[in-house]
Amino acid sequence: MKAQAGKYGLKRWVVAGLALAFLCCAWSLGLTPAGLVPPDSQHWDRTGEFFRAALNPALDYEDENVPADAEPIWWKGIKGVFLTLKFAFGAMSLAVPTALVLGFLGSSAWWPEPCGGKTRLILRAVYFISRLFMSLIRSIHELIWALLFLSAMGVSPLAGMIALALPFSGTLGKVFSELIDEEARDAAQALKAIGHGPVQIFLVGILPRAMPNLITYSFYRFECALRSSAVLGFVGIETIGLYIELSHEEFYYREVWTYLYLLIAMIVVVDLWGAGIRRRLHTSTGGCAI
Amino acid sequence: MVLVGVSWAWATSTPLLGRLSAERRWLNFKNFAGELVPAPVRKSGDWGDALPWAWELLTDEGFLALMTTFGIATAAIILSGTLVLPLLPLASRRLARVDPFGLRAGKTNRAAGLVWKLSGPFVRFAFVLCRSLPEYLIAFLLISLLGLQVWPLVLALAIHNLGILGRLWGEVVENADDSAAMRAYAAGQGRVGVFATTTLPGVFNRFLIYFFYRWETCVKDATVLGMLGLLTLGKLIALSKGFFWDQMLFYVLLGGSVIVLGDLFSMALRRWLR
Repeated sequence: MKAQAGKYGLKRWVVAGLALAFLCCAWSLGLTPAGLVPPDSQHWDRTGEFFRAALNPALDYEDENVPADAEPIWWKGIKGVFLTLKFAFGAMSLAVPTALVLGFLGSSAWWPEPCGGKTRLILRAVYFISRLFMSLIRSIHELIWALLFLSAMGVSPLAGMIALALPFSGTLGKVFSELIDEEARDAAQALKAIGHGPVQIFLVGILPRAMPNLITYSFYRFECALRSSAVLGFVGIETIGLYIELSHEEFYYREVWTYLYLLIAMIVVVDLWGAGIRRRLHTSTGGCAI
Repeated sequence: MVLVGVSWAWATSTPLLGRLSAERRWLNFKNFAGELVPAPVRKSGDWGDALPWAWELLTDEGFLALMTTFGIATAAIILSGTLVLPLLPLASRRLARVDPFGLRAGKTNRAAGLVWKLSGPFVRFAFVLCRSLPEYLIAFLLISLLGLQVWPLVLALAIHNLGILGRLWGEVVENADDSAAMRAYAAGQGRVGVFATTTLPGVFNRFLIYFFYRWETCVKDATVLGMLGLLTLGKLIALSKGFFWDQMLFYVLLGGSVIVLGDLFSMALRRWLR
């Protein structure tokens, strides 16, 4: 409202402020246009080679020492894609149920309405603690969770999945609770009038209404989980990211591109799939991409 | 389909727990937990000693790393917002056509029609491509080409967020009420003029909401991009891993608190803009 009042003037100031912020950051980080090109001839060669490799991805291993009966590279790449998918599915199957519980605790839609002294205090405490917990677990990046868990539990897929599921259930839970709170409460009130308890009201009157938005948002997070599980390859978990890193280490840029193309294809397909789901559920990411 | 995927993921991953026995893992965990206590406290048993220790870590490198993290995130998100803006009219379903808003103004030739028909899908697909690669991966590849400096991190975040802002802002533009824009076009303004003077002021606040949401994510991502070797918190975390667990925990918590602060800041801002 306030921002609307001083319409154009305020917006101009915001833009000017952002431009100034960019200049400040660029100055303090020492960003100069010169940094945008490779620093020396060796890097120039490498850049050229890298982008030439993009047009000519490897259909066979570049490493001479790979035994002749090894699986072909396209098969390895597809396997990597499936491992990445599997990992994301596993992490999301941990995160979504956790987030549903957290989202329930962190929303106020189901509270019994004339809600006196002690009950209100307890509900408030639950609300506050679950919100705090969610913001704590999502304030630490999944890669850092992964570092912690892998060092504490050893390199195992489960450790990686938990590392991914923790911040994701924090984010999902927060958004779930907000989506649930934003739903219209008429059905809930009708149910209460005929004598249902709070949990029943939540499960029958509120949750089904919020469902399309919850599904849309979960799917959006699944796309994010895919990208993150690819990145977890860099800390040693076997997803396509690991293959990319290993090939890159040996400067096999054509192999890198093979894997990159497969990764991009997978994510584009899932992206389009999600767009289809959104169309069918008549939701947009608009309301819920927070 | 999702159910099938989930059950497949769990059913086919039997050796989930790896090779270590439960007992061994518990021992590992206990050692690990013990080392999380700050070193001076471990020696003296007095938590009062933790404060000077924390202050030293902060002034030594922590503060500098924090500023770098912030700088990278801010520069990257502003860069990517600046790049997305001129692309939006080209991606808009109503503006990017030979007859914007279905208003036909005089003769149109077939070539122009084709170009306009392709422009929207093309730009939107470019957005999909940009957001399909995780920023960590882009940064990793760019560092090997541009050398170890700040630009690769900024560029990686900017490229990835270009795709995401393109989609989020694009949706805002599609869902916006365009009657005013239509009138402006009918009154003879060009596409760019209509977008810049009518559409954009109308959606500005919603744009800012998404902008700050992505900025917040950028701060979080810039933290871990440091694991690639530049002085942000991620580097300090990766370096102290394995040897100084207490320091690592300190940096992790420092990063976490920055994100909570950024969260609160952008929440307040969004509420104010709404």
